[in-house]
Amino acid sequence: MNSPHPAAIQAFSFKLKLLLTLRVVVQVATVWFFIWGVFVLAMRISHVQQTAWLALGIFGFVPVALLFAWRESCRHPAATHIRANYDRLNACGGVIMSEEAADMSAWLGQLPSAVVPKIYWRSARPLLLLGLAAVFVATALLLPERVTHLGKNHSLEVAPIIEQLQAEVKTLAEEKIVDGKKADELQQQLSQLQKDASGYDPNKTWEALDHVKQANADAAKQAAEEAITKTESLAQAETLAKAMQAAAESGMSAETASQAAQDLASLINSAKLEAGILNGQIPPELLSGLNGLDKEQMAKLAKALELNKNSLGQMVSKLANLKMIDPATLAKCQSAGQCKNPGGLADYLSKCQGGKCDSEFLFSWLQRVGRGGPGGGGPEAPMVWDNDTSEDNQKFQAHALPPAGQLSDAQLVGVSKSAPELGAPEVAAGHGALYNAAASGGSAQSQVVLPEHRQAVQNFFKREN
Amino acid sequence: MAETILTPDELKPAAALAVKTLEQLDRILLGRKEVHRLVLIGILARGHILLEGVPGLGKTALVKTIGQILKLDFKRIQFTPDLMPGDVLGTHILQETSSGKRELIFQPGPVFTNILLADEINRASPKTQSAMLETMQENCVTLLGTTRPLPQPFFVLASQNPIELEGTYPLPEAQLDRFLFRLLFDNVDADVLDQIISERRRGELPAPTWQMERSELETLFKTMGRIYLPRPVSRYIARLVSATHPGGPEATEPVNKYVSYGASPRAAIAIAEAARAHALINGRPSVGFEDVKVVAPPVLNHRLILNYQARFDRFTTSKLVTELLGSLDETGLNLPKDVELAKGN
Repeated sequence: MNSPHPAAIQAFSFKLKLLLTLRVVVQVATVWFFIWGVFVLAMRISHVQQTAWLALGIFGFVPVALLFAWRESCRHPAATHIRANYDRLNACGGVIMSEEAADMSAWLGQLPSAVVPKIYWRSARPLLLLGLAAVFVATALLLPERVTHLGKNHSLEVAPIIEQLQAEVKTLAEEKIVDGKKADELQQQLSQLQKDASGYDPNKTWEALDHVKQANADAAKQAAEEAITKTESLAQAETLAKAMQAAAESGMSAETASQAAQDLASLINSAKLEAGILNGQIPPELLSGLNGLDKEQMAKLAKALELNKNSLGQMVSKLANLKMIDPATLAKCQSAGQCKNPGGLADYLSKCQGGKCDSEFLFSWLQRVGRGGPGGGGPEAPMVWDNDTSEDNQKFQAHALPPAGQLSDAQLVGVSKSAPELGAPEVAAGHGALYNAAASGGSAQSQVVLPEHRQAVQNFFKREN
Repeated sequence: MAETILTPDELKPAAALAVKTLEQLDRILLGRKEVHRLVLIGILARGHILLEGVPGLGKTALVKTIGQILKLDFKRIQFTPDLMPGDVLGTHILQETSSGKRELIFQPGPVFTNILLADEINRASPKTQSAMLETMQENCVTLLGTTRPLPQPFFVLASQNPIELEGTYPLPEAQLDRFLFRLLFDNVDADVLDQIISERRRGELPAPTWQMERSELETLFKTMGRIYLPRPVSRYIARLVSATHPGGPEATEPVNKYVSYGASPRAAIAIAEAARAHALINGRPSVGFEDVKVVAPPVLNHRLILNYQARFDRFTTSKLVTELLGSLDETGLNLPKDVELAKGN
């Protein structure tokens, strides 16, 4: 006799096991989502912004759920319990239960009709929790960065700039470009700036740093200009001193020597060694007796002038190394007062007899200003025009220029009001606040300004000076 | 397939006998179908029954009617404080024989019967009450070193009055435990009273129209013995009795709070036997959970000893058993609390 009860029991067992497994999966998913949400939040607060693998981690609940489902299946109710419940719910009076121990086929026909018992799962709460967990993990993933960093200090990364400025101030103080008291104040101000620097209000910090940098640059520029002036005078004086020394050996007349000494004194005075950033370091006995210096004293004077010039050069080099002055200023200082033809000057002094030496010619020699002439000549050389440049052995290649377009044929296509586009390929900054930010051309004008820096930039350009 | 289950053909005559008996009882005694059913279950389970109720509710009439229907010998003892054990069990009387010798002849007491009605059993002294212990458990009487078996079947149907407690001796726990059921007799409703008044002149009971033969009774007992008790049901009975013990693994909060001593193993046996009888009456070859649920309250309600806290809180054993039956999972499936099973369509 084919009874429908075994099939109903099997269906009941399957439904019950399926529901118990589903219930476990929901629980595991809920717990996983909550844990993963907390993990995502922690990672994002710890500045891990790669949300791709964090998002993929959501699906980690699948293997965990499978594991728990397998564990649940091992604990599923035994067949005896299934039969007992089926018997109870269908009011079979123990007949179904007794089937395990005896042949009840004679009684199966008298049992109520086979109905699969209903299984109710009060799923509102578990599903609500699952929904909350899913929302939580989604929120953790999609939370804006500014919110995840809400509790952070947002310290501004100004340490390298502060170090640079401190080194500048230190150099300026060492070179006595700024006095010690002011340098100490600047150092303290920089230290305080580093402590107070905050990402919430970077404008204040950037402005203060800009002021210090500007002040340093102004002081350095002023010092460099002074150094160039002094170096020029000292170099000329040194050149003249060495020329006088050489001319004296060639029989320079006393009148010429006297006149040259006056010019030398004039040059040294114009250097104003006692004023400004470089105090006079030339022995006073040499300065006082310029007119009657012997060969040895003149050598000493030249040496003293050279030392002073070198000292200034070193100072300017330091400033240039700290990039407080541009390389052009450094080059200008290094070449200041250099005489193109010091031998010519000595010859000029030795030939200049009877006090006929002209100071104008002398300074022209020193300042490399001359009237030119064949053989390099001196300032006194006459201007001649009868020696043309030879074209022998010179090769010239003729190039035909392209025909110029007729402007009348040009056609106006349009007028662009925007700035011309730069053709340079896009570059990206590799460090700092502009890390990975797209920029074009590398030019300051086309540099991307991040939103958080816009206010600072605007304030910078609003400044009166 | 180790067990031999009753076939429908084997079970049907026995079930019909039980149904006939119930029909006779319900016809003669009006308005107490449930009690009649439980009394028959008690008899089929060969258990003793304690009937509790105020006078005039028909306890004695029930016992008499049972005796008539089953064609069993019936005797009644009215328990009083001065009743002696010998008045119940019997005594030895010195008699002169035909040969002129004098010897002690045993004069059996009223206990030597099939159905003994022990009326107001709690009025007898503990000494007399204890005389019933052996008879109820061993179905025999031992006097002067001689053990005499009681006629079979032997049932004690005792009654006790829950009021007028002055001059009474509450039954000791040992004796209470020997009763299979304690059945409470309530007042019948007005309709039944009206029927009794109109149909029964002077309360005279009608004679039974059918009586069970002794062989039929034996058949009933034999069939009862073959009712199968499935393992999950026996497990449920064991867990149920175990749950009445405070501190047990499945003891409920009221059990832990109100019960001093739980039910004995004898209670578990009683539930199993009574459930078998219930299944037989319902024409089933095996015991189901519902059979247990029907017979568990009368089996357990006199076996649980409650503490003073229960008295203060007016918490009765009936409430406790009902609560226990409602909270204990029959199959021990231990489903999660948020998963429930229900009947299909």
